[in-house]
Amino acid sequence: MLDTGVLAQILWTGLATSSYMVLFTVAFALVLKVVKLWNFAQAGMMAIAFYAMHAALARFGWPTPAAVAFGFAVTLAATLALEVWGLRVLRARGSSGLFFFIFTLVCSEFAAFALTLVFGTEPVPLFPQILSPTRIVAGIAVSDWDLMAVSVTLALCAALALWLRLSRDGQFMVAVSDNAALAELYGINARRAYLAAFAIATVFVCAGMYVYGSRTAVIPTAPLNLMVFAVVATLLGGMGNVFGAAGAAVVLSLLQSYSVLVIPSQWQNLLLYGFLFVTILFFPRGVPLDRLRAIFRRAQA
Amino acid sequence: MEYLATILILVGINVMLAASFNLIIGKAGLASIAHPIFYALGAYTSGLLAIHTGLNAVAATLAGGAVAALFSLMMSLPSLRVAGDYLMITSIGFQLGLLQVIKNLEFTGSQGGLSNIPTPVSGPERAFVFCVIALAAAAVTLAAIRWIVRGPYGRAINAMRDDELAFQALGRNATRIKIVIFAIGCGIAGIAGGLYAFYFQYVSPEQFEILASGTMLTMVVVGGMGSTWGPVVGALILVALPQAITFLNLPPSFMAPVQGMIFTLLVILFLFLRPQGLVPPEPPAPLAHRPADREGKGAR
Repeated sequence: MLDTGVLAQILWTGLATSSYMVLFTVAFALVLKVVKLWNFAQAGMMAIAFYAMHAALARFGWPTPAAVAFGFAVTLAATLALEVWGLRVLRARGSSGLFFFIFTLVCSEFAAFALTLVFGTEPVPLFPQILSPTRIVAGIAVSDWDLMAVSVTLALCAALALWLRLSRDGQFMVAVSDNAALAELYGINARRAYLAAFAIATVFVCAGMYVYGSRTAVIPTAPLNLMVFAVVATLLGGMGNVFGAAGAAVVLSLLQSYSVLVIPSQWQNLLLYGFLFVTILFFPRGVPLDRLRAIFRRAQA
Repeated sequence: MEYLATILILVGINVMLAASFNLIIGKAGLASIAHPIFYALGAYTSGLLAIHTGLNAVAATLAGGAVAALFSLMMSLPSLRVAGDYLMITSIGFQLGLLQVIKNLEFTGSQGGLSNIPTPVSGPERAFVFCVIALAAAAVTLAAIRWIVRGPYGRAINAMRDDELAFQALGRNATRIKIVIFAIGCGIAGIAGGLYAFYFQYVSPEQFEILASGTMLTMVVVGGMGSTWGPVVGALILVALPQAITFLNLPPSFMAPVQGMIFTLLVILFLFLRPQGLVPPEPPAPLAHRPADREGKGAR
């Protein structure tokens, strides 16, 4: 049963499945890096993005690009409202971390309840047809959805890396994430950097919900579970390391995919919570890859 | 009459939940949302013990509290070992993970929930007896928490919450205090779960989902985070509001989300407009006339 064909198929499917997890993780890790906020409101934003796209597609009959643009606009408006009228006020007041935690979490819950009221609890996908055409490439089944998911993720991650490295706003954002007070002394507008971080996170959230929702039916509370994955990956990747978190999301996804070989599918999710505990117990500051590499080199020598 | 008794039982249970959650989040400043899972652990443990071993209700309820307190250690020991926001992250994972376990185990009733929990009291006075027990348990909980927070241990908790670094510099063990407070709060939630299980004779995993954390936060934030009587006010609001909504004759599919929206909106409004809640926290107890403190025998 465990021939290379099966393992390669799981690898490819796992990579494709990891795509939306990477997008959610990058969004979460970026806000944590720049704004220094565990943004539990992201689950609410994910739900808003999905249902806005769903409404545009299924209720208004809009074409896909218009629906995605609508989803982005609605989510961006909600995210910026959260930052301007919520987080900024708490920051100005010098509120404790507990207040930020309660506020972001309750915002997510409010969004879930509001969306339940409007759309009900019946799971809905973005498109009526969630199966996409599949072809066999070197013995591996590759669907159109797989290709779309992987290419969207790679393109967005590459764009973010380039933007952070090459654009002025991106460099300002990195400066603010290092030391916001010092960056402001040098004339960098930290508020603008925060808004930019939230706007970019919204792009990743919308893309992630588009990729996820085009293959899976969603209920308003589903994003809360998806967000936990992003939290674990962010912890594993090391807080402040956006692309490390993305890498951790891929590894976690692959581990979950391969776990079907050894554990029943209904227990698969439990693996994630196991990782959460192991991470917090042994790697609270992320997996120290540099140190592991040094140990490996020393062992080789 | 039974309706009124049931309302009062819910008030009693919710006061226990709110007061214990307030001890964790309001008094000790520990950011956790996993309180519903400890409530669930108490309810399931008591129910399962009563069904499978025939243990009497009091012992089963206390066992529920003990199991909840033990499980709290599983969560707090790894996350409080390191500084930062790890408790709140672990709490989300812990709640979702344990719910996953409960939903998948056959002996807990899986998704369908645990039913046929034997009742220790039967007959027409059943609701009245439970009402007295629930209100007495709530009163004992409030008195015990007040005793803890007004004494030397409470002052240690306040000091730890306000400036942990200074607290540790004085040679105090902040982690131990956090773990103890967390276990006490979770144990009380477990006992409340036992009471719920024996009165309603049915528990299901969906009652303890992450959205239930929102209702508990409502009781604490609206009532007054850190105040002794705040949770009582919060619990009264939490029980009274759904009853008021019932009179609107909304369709059942509307009821739960509308209720949830009102609760979460209340939390948001209070966070911004009245962060101290309806009952602001009392000032700390004076240090005078406490020989133990003068001798430096306070809690560590």
